[in-house]
Amino acid sequence: MTDLVGILVTTVILGSIYGLVAIGMTLIYGTLRILDMSQGSMVMIGGFVAWGVLVSAGWSPVLAILFAFAATFLLGTATQLVSVQPLMGRRNSIDFEMITFITTFAVAMILTNVALEVFGPEQRNVTPVISGSVDIYNGVNLPYQSIAMAGVAILFMVGLWAFLGMTRWGMAIRAVAQDLDAARLMGVPVSKLYPVTMGLASSLAGIAGVFLGSLYFAYPSAGNLPLLEALIVVVFGGLGSLSGTVYAAYAIGLIQAVTEIFIGTTWDLPILYGVIIVVLIVRPQGLRGKPSEARL
Amino acid sequence: MNEPLLEIRSLSAGYGSATVIQGLDLSVRAHESAVIIGPNGHGKTTLLRAIAGLVRASEGEVRFDGVPINGRSPERIAASGVVLVPQGDGLFPEMSVEDNLLMGAFVSSSWRRRRESLERVYSLFPQVKERARQQARTLSGGERRLAALGRALMRTSKILMIDEPSLGLAPIAIDAVYGAIAELKERETTLLLVEENFSHVRGVADSFHLLEMGTIVRTGSYDELVKDEEIASAYLGSAVES
Amino acid sequence: MTERRALFPDMSPTRWSVAGVVLLALCLFPLAESNQYVLTVFVTSMILAVLNISWNFVLGIAGVWNFGQLAIYALGGYGAGILMLHTSLPAALDVIVGGLMAAAISIVMAVPTLRLFGIYTSLLTFAFAEVVQYVIENTSTGLTGGTFGFPSVRGLYGSLSPVVAMHAYYWTVLGIIVISMVGVALLSRSRLGIGLRAIRDAPGFAAARGVSPLRYRMLAFALSGFLAGVAGALYLSFNQSIAPTVMGLTAMSIDVTMLVIGGLGTLFGPIIGTTIVAVVETLLVSYPGIEFTVVGAVLLVIVIFVPGGVVGLASRVRSRLPTWNARPRPGVMGSGSSPPRPAAALGDGVPALHTSDGQER
Repeated sequence: MTDLVGILVTTVILGSIYGLVAIGMTLIYGTLRILDMSQGSMVMIGGFVAWGVLVSAGWSPVLAILFAFAATFLLGTATQLVSVQPLMGRRNSIDFEMITFITTFAVAMILTNVALEVFGPEQRNVTPVISGSVDIYNGVNLPYQSIAMAGVAILFMVGLWAFLGMTRWGMAIRAVAQDLDAARLMGVPVSKLYPVTMGLASSLAGIAGVFLGSLYFAYPSAGNLPLLEALIVVVFGGLGSLSGTVYAAYAIGLIQAVTEIFIGTTWDLPILYGVIIVVLIVRPQGLRGKPSEARL
Repeated sequence: MNEPLLEIRSLSAGYGSATVIQGLDLSVRAHESAVIIGPNGHGKTTLLRAIAGLVRASEGEVRFDGVPINGRSPERIAASGVVLVPQGDGLFPEMSVEDNLLMGAFVSSSWRRRRESLERVYSLFPQVKERARQQARTLSGGERRLAALGRALMRTSKILMIDEPSLGLAPIAIDAVYGAIAELKERETTLLLVEENFSHVRGVADSFHLLEMGTIVRTGSYDELVKDEEIASAYLGSAVES
Repeated sequence: MTERRALFPDMSPTRWSVAGVVLLALCLFPLAESNQYVLTVFVTSMILAVLNISWNFVLGIAGVWNFGQLAIYALGGYGAGILMLHTSLPAALDVIVGGLMAAAISIVMAVPTLRLFGIYTSLLTFAFAEVVQYVIENTSTGLTGGTFGFPSVRGLYGSLSPVVAMHAYYWTVLGIIVISMVGVALLSRSRLGIGLRAIRDAPGFAAARGVSPLRYRMLAFALSGFLAGVAGALYLSFNQSIAPTVMGLTAMSIDVTMLVIGGLGTLFGPIIGTTIVAVVETLLVSYPGIEFTVVGAVLLVIVIFVPGGVVGLASRVRSRLPTWNARPRPGVMGSGSSPPRPAAALGDGVPALHTSDGQER
């Protein structure tokens, strides 16, 4: 029973944070048809912002989240303008996905190395956003930090869902994802919408970075593992499918929780990878992707 | 009111190195309903897409409301009051019909009045209202065309262009679509339609323009054009048989 | 000579002489250069060139978006290293067996890519590489040395004096480069190469013509994996050790940059790209830290502004000159979704090529 509660709690927490990082990737893929490799760097930058605000300046966690949101929003927008927008003319070529995979990858490389120059390679401790913990079921100890993390992640995911479903610009993002020409005929200014979408998605990763930073550390390559996990989630869920991404995030959280408790943390990634291979061999388009093309 | 609403002068446009439209002239007055007739593959769709900005013009000029609009982005052209119902309807398949209609009012001036526009479209097309909550991809061909028309009406348009309103529809659906178009004409909407032949558009058109090999070869009223036997045999379509 | 021309269609006699002179100069270079640091840079870059030739074969010629090649490279190195450390086989055999092991793993990696398209392939192979790195770093078997790197081995020429060994490595790697370039050139013109390109450009049509993606891609992955594995084993041998950083994100960025700058899918692209990036890195060596930022920026600029890399640029400039006046004749084209248009509309029977900007989207 203790194991079961532990698994459940870990699943919810891991799943929420994976969802938050991966959903931005899905949003970007659905809208721009690119796989944004700079998302991991946004997590890293969120971590450094958290360090700066919480440790260096000693301000409140809410400010940390706000600053991380703003910083990564701007960076994400800039990334789009620099590494994707100039290529939009080649949008219909078969190589577009690979070319933008490489250019966003180049941005990730630049960001990581700039962070390395500025902050140095050492791992910086980030104060937990909230300290203390609660014993929820004999021996299953749950830090408030994790509860807050899952709560904020879920809040932002629901917020994104409401934004896409109900607001003018949210609907425009969905429209562009589904039929670019038709969306332009409706008057949607795609050249503005694209950078904003990428900024928005990056800011979700940045917020995840605030929490991951205080859970682990802030350091220049802190984004690598979250990027890999997000990639696995995104493939598992089916590229471009938001609901698939959320399901996949929790499914992967579950797999990881089970492996950690019964096998050990060394093997969780290889086991995850094995699961993904099997899933993709059975369903090449992932859980919720369309057989030929993924859509929002 | 002397200057036409839409005036196209020696327009050339195409895809890559392939020119589809060459030296095309066309003008449409306000409140007129103009129909472009021509065989498949001669540039009718390309012409509408070029006006809407989806296809870049390589030469010539498109003036709308007195200002040249060629070279502008489709979204800017759309915002200035040009509405195109594209071939294949261009509905957003994974969005509900109502969200599709709301997207029609995306331009900020129309967004403020989206509720009233929605009511107006629903009263005009009760079939669309019945499907409001369904995803657009689940609609039948006729419902889809009506939804696309309804979406076009969500925005204050100065000109409404419809690419082959009858394409791929069953006769009963064609009647419904043309019923709606006739009503639009009644309200003095400026219309620019494209069709393959005269059969459905005869009643709604003020002027016809015959588009062949990428350019307008004849312009005139129905009566003027059908006097030409060659045109009559090529484009009367099912209208002759009935 | 005629046979050779057929093999390298781009090569004029002048170019052959240039290539010959360059190769000769490269052969003689270590005899003239006694600075061991310079030679180390050369050998290291040449080992990377071997890796890039192997990667270019899968990525550029076979068109499979494989981003896991560095894992194969590292596994070749680790495989050979484990053999060197725990068996008494001759080192040359260890290198070959390392290559074979890498080939086997490469084949395994190829299996899921057969069912996936485009970006899914790159994701899966990329994740594969990351997992391999993770396992190498975290395995508790002690075989790999974890993040600290592999325990020291004697390597291929461990019994020779350092200076002689340097020369031996230099010529060995140079020889492998020449052999693998000739091999790639031969393979590209063989049934295998043509089949791979057919699968890349028109998978359905190729399959209908009896080109088996299974057999062709497996073979491509096996060959490329073997070469990458040998490169990894050479790296291990030359450095007498190997660490997981050879396959990290940074290493991958450098290699991708080399391939893209040189020109993906071209014969000389990997060599040219490797040379350019190696030179840039060496020039920036006194400003530690900014090199990767610069490499990343160069990568961005090249991808955006010089799509075919240096080789593509060179051939574009060449082909521009004669065709400067021959502008394509305007033909009348229909809109994307129209059924075949009347013959009269095509103008003088100009074949209706597909529209370049994919109107049907």
